[in-house]
Amino acid sequence: MPYILNTPAQIKEILKELGLSSEEELFSQIPESIKIKEELFLPGGMSEKEVSSAVRRIGKQNRNLNEFNSFLGAGLYDHYIPSALKHIINRSEFYTAYTPYQPECSQGVLQAIYEYQSFICLLTGMDVTNASMYDGATSLAESVLMSLRITKKNRILIAKNVHPEYRDVLRTYIKYLDYKLIEVPYNKNGLLDTASLKELLDSDTASVVIQNPNFFGLIEDIPEIKSILKDINIKLIVVLNPLSLAILKKPSEYGADIVCADGQPLGGDMSFGGPTFGIIATKKEYVRQLPGRIVGRTKDLEGKDAFCLTLQAREQHIRRQNATSNICSNQSLNAIAAAVYLSLMGKDGLHKAAIYSLNNAHYLYNEMRKIKGVTLPFSNIFFNEFVWHIDSAKDAAEKLAKEGILAGVELHKFYPELSGCILSCCTEKKTKQDIDNFITALKNIAHE
Amino acid sequence: MNENLIFNKSVEERGTDFINSPLKDIKTPEHFIPKEMLRDKLKLPSLGELDVIRHYTKLSRLNFGVDTHFYPLGSCTMKYNPKINEDLAHMEDFTYLHPYQNENLIQGALAVIYELEKILSELTGMKRFTFQPSAGAHGEFAGMLIIKAFHTLNSNRRSKVLIPDSAHGTNPASAAMCGYKVEVIKSTKDGLVDTDELKSKVDAETAALMLTNPNTLGLFEERIMDISQILHKKGALLYYDGANFNPLMGIVKPRLMGFDVMHLNLHKTFSTPHGSGGPGAAAVGVSDNLVDFLPVPLVDKKENTYYFNYSLKHSIGKIKPFYGNFLVFVKAYSYLLRLGRNGLKRAAYNCVLNANYIRTKLKREFMPASDKMCMHEVVFSCAKQKERGASALDIAKRLIDFGIHPPTMYFPHIVREALMIEPTETESKETLDYFIDTMIKINEETKSDLRNIKEAPHNTPVRRPDEVRAARFPDLRWKEHGE
Amino acid sequence: MAEVKFTKTHEWVKIEGEIATVGITNHAQSELGDIVFVELPSAGDKVKSKEQLATIESTKAAAEVYAPISGEITEINSELSQNPQFINEDPYGKGWMVKIKIDNAGDIPEFMDEASYNNFIEKET
Repeated sequence: MPYILNTPAQIKEILKELGLSSEEELFSQIPESIKIKEELFLPGGMSEKEVSSAVRRIGKQNRNLNEFNSFLGAGLYDHYIPSALKHIINRSEFYTAYTPYQPECSQGVLQAIYEYQSFICLLTGMDVTNASMYDGATSLAESVLMSLRITKKNRILIAKNVHPEYRDVLRTYIKYLDYKLIEVPYNKNGLLDTASLKELLDSDTASVVIQNPNFFGLIEDIPEIKSILKDINIKLIVVLNPLSLAILKKPSEYGADIVCADGQPLGGDMSFGGPTFGIIATKKEYVRQLPGRIVGRTKDLEGKDAFCLTLQAREQHIRRQNATSNICSNQSLNAIAAAVYLSLMGKDGLHKAAIYSLNNAHYLYNEMRKIKGVTLPFSNIFFNEFVWHIDSAKDAAEKLAKEGILAGVELHKFYPELSGCILSCCTEKKTKQDIDNFITALKNIAHE
Repeated sequence: MNENLIFNKSVEERGTDFINSPLKDIKTPEHFIPKEMLRDKLKLPSLGELDVIRHYTKLSRLNFGVDTHFYPLGSCTMKYNPKINEDLAHMEDFTYLHPYQNENLIQGALAVIYELEKILSELTGMKRFTFQPSAGAHGEFAGMLIIKAFHTLNSNRRSKVLIPDSAHGTNPASAAMCGYKVEVIKSTKDGLVDTDELKSKVDAETAALMLTNPNTLGLFEERIMDISQILHKKGALLYYDGANFNPLMGIVKPRLMGFDVMHLNLHKTFSTPHGSGGPGAAAVGVSDNLVDFLPVPLVDKKENTYYFNYSLKHSIGKIKPFYGNFLVFVKAYSYLLRLGRNGLKRAAYNCVLNANYIRTKLKREFMPASDKMCMHEVVFSCAKQKERGASALDIAKRLIDFGIHPPTMYFPHIVREALMIEPTETESKETLDYFIDTMIKINEETKSDLRNIKEAPHNTPVRRPDEVRAARFPDLRWKEHGE
Repeated sequence: MAEVKFTKTHEWVKIEGEIATVGITNHAQSELGDIVFVELPSAGDKVKSKEQLATIESTKAAAEVYAPISGEITEINSELSQNPQFINEDPYGKGWMVKIKIDNAGDIPEFMDEASYNNFIEKET
């Protein structure tokens, strides 16, 4: 039997030790009436070879991005992942370990997570972060809950150009709690409409959530937003792309109270959407409102530096229904991978990944501008993705896909008012040839 | 600290180029973005590839994992993680897939979700499953939201959720996140739910009971059918925390025990690794009448084509962006195919067999929390040892010296000086014998050499880090000199 | 010297004139273990009898401290933010938490004296 080491003789021996005559007697506590009598309608078991071919065959029914010239982004990005990263993360000392509750058996994991926390604080400029959340969207939901606890108010403003799926998840999280969630529209340039923001703010508002770069890839007018929020006890929550921080201003410098993000751009596979991991970072005065595990540095019995989980009185295993969150398992391995990624890339590597993405996206943008039939509705200040418009976008996207080009994400599904609009992304992996091929194909379609 | 922090190993100007400039002319960010939105300095370390490989390889070796050590951590089901699962999940056909690709390009991914759901439905008796939740607690939250949505739709604003005193801490925390008040149900002396107390507490305000079965004492809730009746009679629902489903695979279906909503931890029962704390994944299953409340989308099939089904009338919405921790599903699916109906049952048999072997062999030295036979895990009280001066913590730490990961300690709270031991089915009798002998040796030591236990572990990279200091003076990140 | 009185929720209170000094009992601190953090209200805050006054965290537990009496906080022990261990070391002295100006000095609830408190905790355990 796969993965069971006890031999029939050993099983017999143990049964004898237990004073039982059959294995069925192990389950004598279970009422007979509810035991499964008939044979389950399940596969009958396979050899490893058979499993291998069966699952590979299913995999082949996917067409992975190697087959395409892809410009898909919108929250998950195709960045280059150094080979060395997988060799570290695939070490079973990391992936077969449990949560590092026992520091003596887990110094490696604990130090790696402490380093991860340090990296996130360096990137964001924030004082503290945790050992990871599930993903960017649940990080956002937990950030909002934090702001409600901190301010003891009940109203949240969220920009409509925050990732639609993040807003969906947030809505689910607070659905049955007594809070009001209000969406702030974007303006004709695709940016947060600051006039509406001004209008909607009131003294019951706990927090304002913006995304920067926003879902359309645009860089928000932070000084303007900041000037509206100053002098009010309203927390600023910023959703961001961690890679953009290689060039963009640290959120700590513009007064963010809580920063959240999906960590996938830091060396994570796209993996059909998961697992990735969530980043959440804040000011030190709010550390006791942070959800999830936190690693700290301390001393051991001999006075040696040592790491352990800390500030656990916030968590569910101690505070139960009064905990800051119910989160227990997180996405540690993905967070450790991010620490490895940032170590491998270093200052220069990360900077290059960011400016190559930036340059590629702007090259694509400028080439698109020359195509008749293609319009660029929004601001031209963006990081690695932007929105463009073509009549009958669905048709165009299908034609491009036939030529092996995945143009991007059609926005009408999230924003009915943006029909014809497509969000396209370039990472550092795009070559000039990739972009030129896209442009050539698009020209042909636009001019048909 | 055994290894210098990566930040202290940085050497200016060192680094590896992983990618060439894509364009001839690369412009600086100022060219595209106003200066006031740009950052001035990026302080990250500069290291070579070998520096990084050595650093993290050394760190990895400071850990215990299932592959290196016996890991009898109660309630965590630290079974062996088959390597074929890793190979298959890490194929580019799964990892190099964007969730916004059109459905016709991701049929394989949808097939995995569809087929996995079919298997879990048959195993549990639940009608449909969602795979969005990223972890057990996330699954509980989704499940309790479904319960809340169900009662709300029936204009039934029930305000409280009942939870046994032996429950995992995530249960009350998850219920609280849905706005429920939590009421605790005491256990009886034999470690089971007190049905009399339950009866007295279930009323028109009760939304649900959250129950783990087998419970955290490793005992099967024998009166489960009574419990189910008590709740359903008053219109309340029964939630199944599937953290302990391992011993019931192929033995009992939760739906047939009366559960209405449940979650399964793929990273416990179905062998996907814990990854130093995550990623996990939870599948949340519901009975027929609750299908319409599941998060969207589900995966359905029409004429051999899989598609996303968003048309659930009362869906609670999304609880995670995209479709969940997909790679974890691939691993669980491979495991289920490999074991099949007989293998799963064999796994259930063996995990119960192994736990009872430990229970029987140690019951003279340590006090089992219950006189009953256990299921997949056994809880001992070290109260006798504590009287001699050795706490559960001391004993757990001493195990490390023998190359054994400590069991879960001080849980469940209703047992004094608790050690909760879950050997799982994948451990051999030889390993169990070694563990049993070691525990007996340590028990002897509590009589002869207390100091040795109190100072354990002796040979680890660090010894008993000062958690009080860690919490009083939080040092949560590396700081540059002078910062 | 005013007498120290006790509550069922393990606070102590010492009333001198219209000022009540409050802390947690020796029994409470020993149950909690090493205290690592104390969250106190601010001077000027109004507190109500039996409602939450402060939070105490140890490495293995978190506990709420309840106001034994209604009134206004006149002073907090600000030393505790840097030295939470004072509560462990000297719960009735350096570990005091807040001083409350009592709302209605004529209407002081009934507290336990030391002997009845000791009785009470013996029964409780």
